[in-house]
Amino acid sequence: MNISSLGKRFRENIQTYIIIILLIVIWGVFAVVTEGNYLSSQNISNLFRQMAVTSFLAAGMVLVMVIGGIDLSVGKLAGFVSVVVAVFQRDIWVKIIPDQPILAAGLSVIVGLLTGLAFGSFQAYIIAYLRVPSFITTLGGQFILNGGILLVTQGKTIAANQPGFSAIGQAYLPTNTGWIIAAGVVALLFVLMFRDRRTKVKYGFTLKPIYQDILKVAFFAVLVLLYVYVVNKFKGIQVPVLILAMTVIVVSYISTNTRFGRYAYALGGNREAARLSGINIKKQTFLVFVLMGLLCGLGGVVLASYVGYGTISAGGGYELDAIASCVLGGTSTLGGSGTIFGAVVGALIMASLNTGLQMMNVSPALQYVLRGLVLVLAVIIDVYFKKSN
Amino acid sequence: MDENIILDFQHVTKSFPGVVALDDVSFQVRRGEIHGLCGENGAGKSTLMKILSGVYPYGDYEGKVIYDGRELVLKASSIKQASEEGIAIVYQELTLVPGMTVGENIFLGREPTEMGSITWDRIYSETQKILDEYKLDIQPQDIVRNLGVGKMQMTEIAKALSENARVLILDEPTSALSEAEVTRLMEILGTLKQHGVTCIYITHKLEELFRITDRVTVLRDGKVVTTQDTKDLNSEKLIQHMVGREMKERFPQGNRKPGEVIFEVDDLWAKDPDKGREVLKGVTFNLREGEILGIAGLMGSGRTELVMTIFGEYGKVTRGTVKLNGRELDISSSHQAMEAGISLVPEDRKRHGLVLIQSILKNISLPNLDRFASFLRVDQHAELVESLKIAKELAVKAPNMFVPVESLSGGNQQKVVISKWLMSGPKVLIMDDPTRGIDVGAKYEIYKLMNELTEHGISIIMISSDLQEVLGMSDRVMVMCQGRSRGTLEITEATQERIMMLATGMACEQ
Repeated sequence: MNISSLGKRFRENIQTYIIIILLIVIWGVFAVVTEGNYLSSQNISNLFRQMAVTSFLAAGMVLVMVIGGIDLSVGKLAGFVSVVVAVFQRDIWVKIIPDQPILAAGLSVIVGLLTGLAFGSFQAYIIAYLRVPSFITTLGGQFILNGGILLVTQGKTIAANQPGFSAIGQAYLPTNTGWIIAAGVVALLFVLMFRDRRTKVKYGFTLKPIYQDILKVAFFAVLVLLYVYVVNKFKGIQVPVLILAMTVIVVSYISTNTRFGRYAYALGGNREAARLSGINIKKQTFLVFVLMGLLCGLGGVVLASYVGYGTISAGGGYELDAIASCVLGGTSTLGGSGTIFGAVVGALIMASLNTGLQMMNVSPALQYVLRGLVLVLAVIIDVYFKKSN
Repeated sequence: MDENIILDFQHVTKSFPGVVALDDVSFQVRRGEIHGLCGENGAGKSTLMKILSGVYPYGDYEGKVIYDGRELVLKASSIKQASEEGIAIVYQELTLVPGMTVGENIFLGREPTEMGSITWDRIYSETQKILDEYKLDIQPQDIVRNLGVGKMQMTEIAKALSENARVLILDEPTSALSEAEVTRLMEILGTLKQHGVTCIYITHKLEELFRITDRVTVLRDGKVVTTQDTKDLNSEKLIQHMVGREMKERFPQGNRKPGEVIFEVDDLWAKDPDKGREVLKGVTFNLREGEILGIAGLMGSGRTELVMTIFGEYGKVTRGTVKLNGRELDISSSHQAMEAGISLVPEDRKRHGLVLIQSILKNISLPNLDRFASFLRVDQHAELVESLKIAKELAVKAPNMFVPVESLSGGNQQKVVISKWLMSGPKVLIMDDPTRGIDVGAKYEIYKLMNELTEHGISIIMISSDLQEVLGMSDRVMVMCQGRSRGTLEITEATQERIMMLATGMACEQ
């Protein structure tokens, strides 16, 4: 048995390639229609920021869907977190720690994360240990959170645009810092590559030719540098995008390189086999939904900071965007498969459609119709390719 | 054409890749009789029934089936056709919709309507008529879920009768029934006979054959051994017909020298966790180091329930002890069982053994990730090295470790399942029907592997439905019947006849 075969790898990852091609096609079409404006550094910059909040939710949703569940409460949970954080920003920190905007912002982040974690754990317990289907639990959760949002806001808009806090969702990194980060990432990619090769040698595997590995790493390096170059031409890397990137890397690492992640995929692939393999199904389910709650907390904090206020409509419909992103990104609705990376690209496609259609002054009604069509079309293409395989 | 013959099988042959399931089968079923059909597991009974129900449509098999004077031609993808012809099958696994009423189930798929709206009154009045006619103690409005297994079966029968079934096939109808329910079923079959309905009664419970059938056909290895009047048979003769064949060179020579007793199960009782029914009613046996202990028993004898209970994943133990190396075990999950040194290769590899969409690598390492993982990280290199090593030892044939297991053959899938459970280094390996559904060559490899494992001091408990396999591979054989251990035979004193005697309960009632 040899260790790898490229053709096979390609076929396994066909879904990833399809959505990347889809993304390029969409960008190409918009670039032509808008006479290049679509690819301006300002627009690309906005695009990535727009996808941020949905992407936090989509990253968690992948694992939820992988274990065969669904979470309909994520949008409202992020919204609830955003209004809670707004209340703390406007009413509470100013009384306890006036004139300390940075500390206040830090505490707001913690409050936001804890709020998401708490509600996530509450739902997770009901789903995992009381065995209520996740669809129903989180549908109920959505109602509860809606009430919670009304209760917290009293129906009014709460300003969350204090300096310090606003930086989380709105600030740009200085261009120099941007380049330093980019250089760091590229260096890290190469270090990891060489370390991986060394370990492979240690375990006695035959190595792929080094140019293959270098090409692969170089490809990602170019993407990173290109992104930094483009956004630096506008105002620099946005803080929320940086937070998103770090989150995606961490969650993606968890999903593929830890027992927790591996058990999630096994559980979704075959619950009974997983159980007989000694996996604690309840605990695993519980933890996946807890992680989802935590990511909703993060999404909610970024949301509050980005829009600058908490409102009763905060986060409405985000759960559908998150689910659509996962599905676009190849997550199976039956459980067992899906990648975080795919879901983020899915979220990018949804955001790309949004901004593109807005730039073309397409009516909102038609925008919804087109987004729906692209979602279904992408899945049709995918089903077709899987069959012909 | 004899007017008395309703079904006439003429030289029916059905083969699958590697197996001939039915080999030139010819026999006749008379109008209005209760015709018993028996044979070991895998003798071809189910295949025959699948031909009658159209699962294997006309043209999918060789030979002819003459039904009521003309050839039976069932088209592919027409499930309803058999029942329209008047042939109805009551399956082992019940096929009712649990949440619906008896009436709804009986008329499912052919609800009477008036201008597009269902006429519920008619459904329930006609259901009542059928139930009354055959004196079935069920109400049309009962929800099926709330009925006992026995009544569910009666509902199935009522459903068949409502479709004007002339031939009713019952596939192991009593496997889940209590004694009283069996008696009730026998009465109903008697009534059906008076109404002129022909019955084919599939079972391997000999006592029932003698109690109810007029004639019996015995199948063995896909061939008809005999068709005889039941009154001319006795249980010894019948068992001989069912098993009587010579042993071929199917089993590799092992070089086993079993050592001291290391594993003991003493008077184990356990309850079904969902239904609360006792499934194990006193099981006692022991296992020596480096030994293969065969567990024989018919379907429903509690074999699988026994090993799943030992593995901590099934019954709730109500009495008895399980000891490994003299130390009493208290196992309530597969995780604990593995830590104690007990592994189990499950019966249904696709449902319980494998995550089909995942790679060989991930399947093998799944129960063993603790060996490679810290809290933060799974060492994927070590994982690959170890998994590759064991997959090589077991000669899993695949292009590489990353192909999904669903693309492998049955034999190779089984090797992956065994690899997965061997990596943890068990002292006791339980194998539940380890060669089910795999071809002869792969079976041989699995047998060789079992011999090697025992030479390395691993003790194996092997459940098997194939008596030859039990006799060919075991050092001793423990026979189960109705949740009890009926005794352990040394291989030198074990014969197919003796095992069947114990397993069918012919010997144990005395």
